[in-house]
Amino acid sequence: MGSSMEEKVVAVIMVGGPTKGTRFRPLSLNIPKPLFPIAGQPMVHHPISACKRIPNLAQIYLVGFYEEREFALYVSAISNELKVPVRYLREDKPHGSAGGLYHFRNLIMEDDPSHIFLLNCDVCCSFPLPEMLEAHRKYGGIGTLLVIKVSPESANQFGELVADPDTNELLHYTEKPETFVSDLVNCGVYVFTPDIFTAIRDVSSQRKDTAILRRVSSFEALQPATRIPADFVRLDQDILSPLAGKKQLYTYETLDFWEQIKSPGMSLRCSELYLSQFRLTSPQVLASGDGTKTAIVIGDVYIHHSAKIHPTAKIGPNVSISANARVGPGVRLISCIILDDVEIMENAVVTNAIVGWKSSIGRWSRAEGVYNSKLGVTILGDSVAVEDEVVVTSSIVLPNKTLNVSVQDEIIL
Amino acid sequence: MKALILVGGFGTRLRPLTLSLPKPLVDFANKPMILHQIEALKAVGVDEVVLTVNYQAEVMLNFLKDVEAKLEIKITCSRETEPMGTAGPLALARDKLVDGSGEPFFVLNSDVISEYPFKEMIEFHKAHGGEASIMVTKVDEPSKYGVVVMEETTGKVEKFVEKPKLYVGNKINAGIYLLNPSVVDKIELRPTSIEKETFPKIAAAQGLYAMVLPGFWMDIGQPRDYITGLRLYLDSLRKKCPAKLTTGPDIVGNVLVDETAKIGEGCLIGPDVAIGPGCVVESGVRLSRCTVMPGARIKKHACVSSSIIGWHSTVGQWARIENMTILGEDVHVRDEIYSNGGVVLPHKEIKSNILMPGIVM
Repeated sequence: MGSSMEEKVVAVIMVGGPTKGTRFRPLSLNIPKPLFPIAGQPMVHHPISACKRIPNLAQIYLVGFYEEREFALYVSAISNELKVPVRYLREDKPHGSAGGLYHFRNLIMEDDPSHIFLLNCDVCCSFPLPEMLEAHRKYGGIGTLLVIKVSPESANQFGELVADPDTNELLHYTEKPETFVSDLVNCGVYVFTPDIFTAIRDVSSQRKDTAILRRVSSFEALQPATRIPADFVRLDQDILSPLAGKKQLYTYETLDFWEQIKSPGMSLRCSELYLSQFRLTSPQVLASGDGTKTAIVIGDVYIHHSAKIHPTAKIGPNVSISANARVGPGVRLISCIILDDVEIMENAVVTNAIVGWKSSIGRWSRAEGVYNSKLGVTILGDSVAVEDEVVVTSSIVLPNKTLNVSVQDEIIL
Repeated sequence: MKALILVGGFGTRLRPLTLSLPKPLVDFANKPMILHQIEALKAVGVDEVVLTVNYQAEVMLNFLKDVEAKLEIKITCSRETEPMGTAGPLALARDKLVDGSGEPFFVLNSDVISEYPFKEMIEFHKAHGGEASIMVTKVDEPSKYGVVVMEETTGKVEKFVEKPKLYVGNKINAGIYLLNPSVVDKIELRPTSIEKETFPKIAAAQGLYAMVLPGFWMDIGQPRDYITGLRLYLDSLRKKCPAKLTTGPDIVGNVLVDETAKIGEGCLIGPDVAIGPGCVVESGVRLSRCTVMPGARIKKHACVSSSIIGWHSTVGQWARIENMTILGEDVHVRDEIYSNGGVVLPHKEIKSNILMPGIVM
């Protein structure tokens, strides 16, 4: 017969906060990381649109430490556009990844949802949420994690887990282990039943009552012992690890792409992944052109309708151009993100770079990033001016600077 | 009497400090940079100060409201919508500067610290009767700057030479002017350079005179000069008003400690140190040639030299911070860490040594 049509679903997206996000500088100096554009849309827009595909979605909550006013405009615009209520909730103090969810449990349970999705905003993936929900219903546990196989060398940057190949039950979970446990990792996308709140509450009260012997890494053991407050509950160490193997948690494996958007360089890579996803799901969003009336477009490219591109320019692959940008004659753009109001003058070249709001790239100048170099992709902050014929290679330039000499592998404050 | 302070731009050379506050509000010798200038102007009878800003004007105005009340001086902002150079702002602020009284007005560059001998400058200006007076200061390497070529006895300026290849003189523009209102008529409302366009015109008409600045001078727009500037400032304070300096068994040389700061036992502080309001310096700490911004904490046994510790930052126990390390706001250096010239942006934790000068974002 299938699921009850009355069962509502609520989605919670964790967006983080300002002081924690220093890895996203200098772009995060001007805009909260969740609002940084990836493939032409704010980062948080991608999980939000994915949530729209969940049947009976009642509400989306964004939970973070940013000031309310930083999200006010975005939240009201997106609620209107997608016709689903989106609300930003500010955490007053850190509660941990699970504690944050618990802190707002009353609001979350207001719609009496049967299921609650928890997503991390800086995850880049195909978000197979309806499929996860269906699988979760079949498993009958209190939670299901989205998981993916990664290369064994990179696995220890994430939460490694072991799943039963037949039942998909989560058998073992460990966060950033020192030795190899498994090449299956936690994607940071979960679906829970409301029993999760009981599980979190139990952790809190247990911590209050007894001293818990927990296995710590050798590094942690040498640190001065700090008392963790009772209401600080981490999803990985405090919920997933202890509940693994107890027939409560299950896994759903995705075979699509998955990345974490931790650094500005990754935002360029993830932009590429989302642009290629648009090619499949909504190709009308992407730009095209053959150099006759409009510029030549190669591969997956997003161009905002207000941007002006000269017909002799050649754009792509993997380029996102935001509102009111101007691209002059003979410009070549490859693998880059061009933000609002940027001006790129004649015959300039931008490749593997992010060009910040209102910046200008002079004639015959070149902004180039090299992925594996010390600083990686070139990032120009807000209102940076690169003068004619200057070359900027693998460098990071903070806002309001003018470059009149070429630079390489440098951070310009 | 009126004064114009050219505040201008983004203060990028003083990053990471200017990522937290606009440059004029960054503390120098335990006082916001611009307050040094405003107080000196008030002392010679200036009753209105106009600041020309093109960045973060609201932050400036909020701070200045308190100053207005405390000092009983009027402070207004003149907003540049585009950078107006070094003379354009005067034309922009014309209505505020030219009030029909005919009195000359001061123009100061906000990055400059000195003894601000404004009274002497007013007398000099009246004596020569010319249209404009400019302070000049002697430097060792004049070719790095714009040199003012002048008659030694009268101070009458002949010309300006920008970065001269051959020696023409050793006096450069100190960024302090006293101008008659008629000067504003000579400035068009567009980005203009006072040295390249306005002053040469006045000099050609024999109306520009230069006075050699007595005492010290420093442009503290970048960290190295900020630290040197503090040494010069404290040196001057020792000569003029030694009671303001801090003394004690743990103090050596010129040291300025705010009365709300706490210093532990067995420390050795100085020379050339400024410790701001609310700072805590625990026992056994060695500080030399450094500035500790308000609210910062230096933990036991640490050693800090030739560096700037940003607002509310902490330096861990036994940490060693030296060689132009600049910690931005809310930076926390763990115990036993060594920083050799690290430049650290705000809200960071330093968990590993910085062995070579570099930027931590």
